[in-house]
Amino acid sequence: MIQLKEIDKYIESRFQRVFILKGINLTINEGEFITLMGPSGAGKSTLLNILGLLDEDYDGDYFFGERNIRHMRDKERSNLHKSEFGYIFQAYHLIDELTVYENIETPLLYRNVSSGERKSIIADLLDRFNMVAKKDLFPAQLSGGQQQLVGIARAIAGKPRVLLADEPTGNLHSAQAKEIMEIFRELHAEGTTIIQATHARENADYGTRLINLVDGRIETDEAIAS
Amino acid sequence: MWKNYLKVSFRNLKKRKLYTGINLLGLTIALVSFFVISLYIYHEWSYDRMYTGSDRIYKFNQEFVSGGERQLVSTTPSLLVPTLIDEYPEVETGTLVFDLSIFSSVLVDAGEGNQEESRFAFVDENFYKVFDFEILAGQKGSLLSEPNQVVLTEETANRYFGSAQNAEGKTLKIDSKEYQVSGVMENFPSNSHLDFDFLASFKTHRHGKNPEWSPSNYYSYVKLREDADRAAFEAKLPQLVEKYLGEEQKEYGFQTAFFTQPVTNIHLGDQTLSSIKPGTDVKYLYIFGVVAILLIAIGIINYVNLATAEATERNREVGLRKVMGADRMQLFGQFVSESLILTFGAAILSLLIIYLIAPQFVRLGGVPLDLSLLFSAKGILLMAFLVAAVGLLAGMYPSVILSGLKPIKALGNQIKIGGGAWVRKSLVVFQFFVSMGLLISTFIVKSQLDYMQEVNLGYQREQVLALPYHYNMRNSIESVKQEMLRSGSAESIALAADMPIHIKAGYTIFPGGDNQREFMITGYSVDKDLVNTIGLTVLAGENFTDTDLSRSVAYDSALEFPLILNESALSQLGWTPEEAIGRKLNYGGSMAYVKGVVNDFYFNSLHHKIEPLGIFIDPGQANVLLVKMPAGNPATHLATLEDTWKALVPDRPFNYRFIDQEYAQLYRSEERVGAIFGLFSGIAIFIACMGLFGLVSYVALRRTREISIRKVLGATQGDVLAVLSSDFLKLLALSAILAIGFGIWFSGTWLEAFANKAQIGIGPFISSILVVLLLALITIGYRSWKVYRVNPSKTLKSD
Repeated sequence: MIQLKEIDKYIESRFQRVFILKGINLTINEGEFITLMGPSGAGKSTLLNILGLLDEDYDGDYFFGERNIRHMRDKERSNLHKSEFGYIFQAYHLIDELTVYENIETPLLYRNVSSGERKSIIADLLDRFNMVAKKDLFPAQLSGGQQQLVGIARAIAGKPRVLLADEPTGNLHSAQAKEIMEIFRELHAEGTTIIQATHARENADYGTRLINLVDGRIETDEAIAS
Repeated sequence: MWKNYLKVSFRNLKKRKLYTGINLLGLTIALVSFFVISLYIYHEWSYDRMYTGSDRIYKFNQEFVSGGERQLVSTTPSLLVPTLIDEYPEVETGTLVFDLSIFSSVLVDAGEGNQEESRFAFVDENFYKVFDFEILAGQKGSLLSEPNQVVLTEETANRYFGSAQNAEGKTLKIDSKEYQVSGVMENFPSNSHLDFDFLASFKTHRHGKNPEWSPSNYYSYVKLREDADRAAFEAKLPQLVEKYLGEEQKEYGFQTAFFTQPVTNIHLGDQTLSSIKPGTDVKYLYIFGVVAILLIAIGIINYVNLATAEATERNREVGLRKVMGADRMQLFGQFVSESLILTFGAAILSLLIIYLIAPQFVRLGGVPLDLSLLFSAKGILLMAFLVAAVGLLAGMYPSVILSGLKPIKALGNQIKIGGGAWVRKSLVVFQFFVSMGLLISTFIVKSQLDYMQEVNLGYQREQVLALPYHYNMRNSIESVKQEMLRSGSAESIALAADMPIHIKAGYTIFPGGDNQREFMITGYSVDKDLVNTIGLTVLAGENFTDTDLSRSVAYDSALEFPLILNESALSQLGWTPEEAIGRKLNYGGSMAYVKGVVNDFYFNSLHHKIEPLGIFIDPGQANVLLVKMPAGNPATHLATLEDTWKALVPDRPFNYRFIDQEYAQLYRSEERVGAIFGLFSGIAIFIACMGLFGLVSYVALRRTREISIRKVLGATQGDVLAVLSSDFLKLLALSAILAIGFGIWFSGTWLEAFANKAQIGIGPFISSILVVLLLALITIGYRSWKVYRVNPSKTLKSD
């Protein structure tokens, strides 16, 4: 589904190039649940951003399906970005001015989903995450775990095939973290491809594949038996 | 989608109260100014466009050429219009207006004693065919066809008879002559150059019964047929002059030409032509229009600056939305909808404010604002357009900046909206350039106004009263004068044709002998006491005495009458004061000798330089008493004078004017310009400072960490102020340079209209720039003080 070939990402400083990612070759198949691990600064977030089309400033080739991202027009890339990817952040990144309902609605608005359809999608999601009663609250009125649930609901509202999560449980205590990971497991079981970056080894156990990044290189890449 | 835009915009605006407040206030003030100025300009432009076929109505002016001097006169002979109607088929109809207030007021008696009225005119029976004002009572079509008929305006009818219906058919005694009220018309609209309370039938007047080619005292109007060609019509006018005035022209050696002026052009046209109502110099409308647009620009710039500054706080939101799939257009829509909402709110607010301030504006500008215009289809369309334009212009730049952010950078808060800094900088420069420029202009206008009030006019205008009196009183006025002198409340009294602030009567002077050239001179008919009453200095020869002949007596008996000339007249004649004394000359057709020479004094507004003036005795032509009061409380003297007047002239009200106040009145339109400039420069500075506050806040926010480090290292509050203000001061300096350039241009252009100019030093420039600079520094200072007070441990910890 996704294929990265010789991806280099570096910062040009005065005397030398500092590589953040170096020679990344990676093939991701549909339905995988991949965990990226590694120390801080290893390049996990950068790799996620590149995978999620948020960062286009790198060398190397990125194929989505058969097509090279580089050869796509802006419009196509933007459509790909909209239709295929969902994002979950460590700091939740909900829009403070919007209610739970509206936060979940936002990606649907940008996809020009009709109002009736929006309502039914959001109703399903709220139901699924037991948040119906909280739909009119603002993010500041929710606990961290609840905020991240909204973040997940928002990420999957557009029915993306790939879910990218950057330390989704990093700000949560263990019980909440477990809840989130259970949801990931469910989503994975439904067929969503998930790529998460994390520091917590136990989170990797929910996935099917573990990649260790050190200093911008893939050090190990192993399957995890479930 | 739009619903969502609106919802989010509202919440954003609600959340950032200070930001919203500043922007709303700035835009509201700018819009109020814009609407008010637009209404004013529209009002001035709309003059005389309400009559049916107003584009076919023309007024006649004439040009006199005599002795090489060219003179434009806005009145014509009474026979002009009847002749035109008879002989020129392209003339559909025409009318004539004789504005009596040029000469005197009238006394009106409805059975309850005399009222003095000055807005009185004779018009002929075609008046309402040319100017179709609404008739509220009476037989339309035959309102003024008979002698001794009068039409009242609604307001006058109410004043005298309670209602229009009541007034019809009643009798009014006007100057002891009985008139029948044949009808009542609507009040003259504020945007008509015609403005009277009473219109009497011209047939009552002797020139109405027998129209003649002299004198030229009448405003003439014609309405051409729809298919008539104005140019072709005007080309035939010289034949008419030749036919009826040809012989006279040859005999007296003058030339005259009639020309037409569209009625819609009277108010804003040539201001040297006198009119029933003072006109407006179209130049001022342009200036005000530019000011209105500048103020809107400043309001928009404020929004742009503040919104870009705010962008730093919103980059996270923008990043998120992008990650979630928002494309640039969608984000653009979001931010523009915010500015549109704000502009819309400002428009609503400004309408409310205009509603409240309209009465005040009438007092300041002397112009009624027709608020209903704002709610007409045109007005609403204009406002919608304005809101859309302002909203888009204001929202455009911030939206482009915000929607162009790279999402991951925005999310990581690594954003520096450094790009486009020059845009913000040039906007600031522009704002302060406009503020300073307007303030400099205000000071320049003020310098000239002060100069005109304080300049030595060459005569005494303090403690001098003018008491206008009626022509009928000419036989008894001498006794009034003597009685007032006896009362002790008058030091000296002179009878004069005009107040010394505007003497207009034109004469020709012809020295004879070797100097054959004839030239124009202004004549001032007075009695022997003028020189002492207004404190002129006799430079050579003598003042008038009791035994001196009056001009009319001398004329009748073919004797020479004594004349006092001013210095300008002498230099025109090429004589020194000493050699002038006793010289004979032909003055306006009769012989005079130079009895004395007085100093030059300003007998017109300072727009004009001092022209030659000839003063002669002719109390028969006088219609005002000039009373020099002795020192002491003017109120007591006034009371005494009034008692004397009442005792001797019981049927005439005691109306007085102070010469110095009347003099100040000459500069009303300049005062108005000064006041409006002052007001709007204040507004501009206020809005600009608000914008500056926002920008400094933005810079302070960006540099909080730097400032904290400086503070830890020992920077004082002054150092922090210096850090924050140095960039802005450079911009302000640039604005100041531009504003000085503008000021120099403005003083050149505006002062051009005055023959006597104030010396504009560097004062106005320095003080304007200092004022604006000071206000800007206070703004920056306040913000830097707030930054300084932030505890450095807080800002340094997180990084």
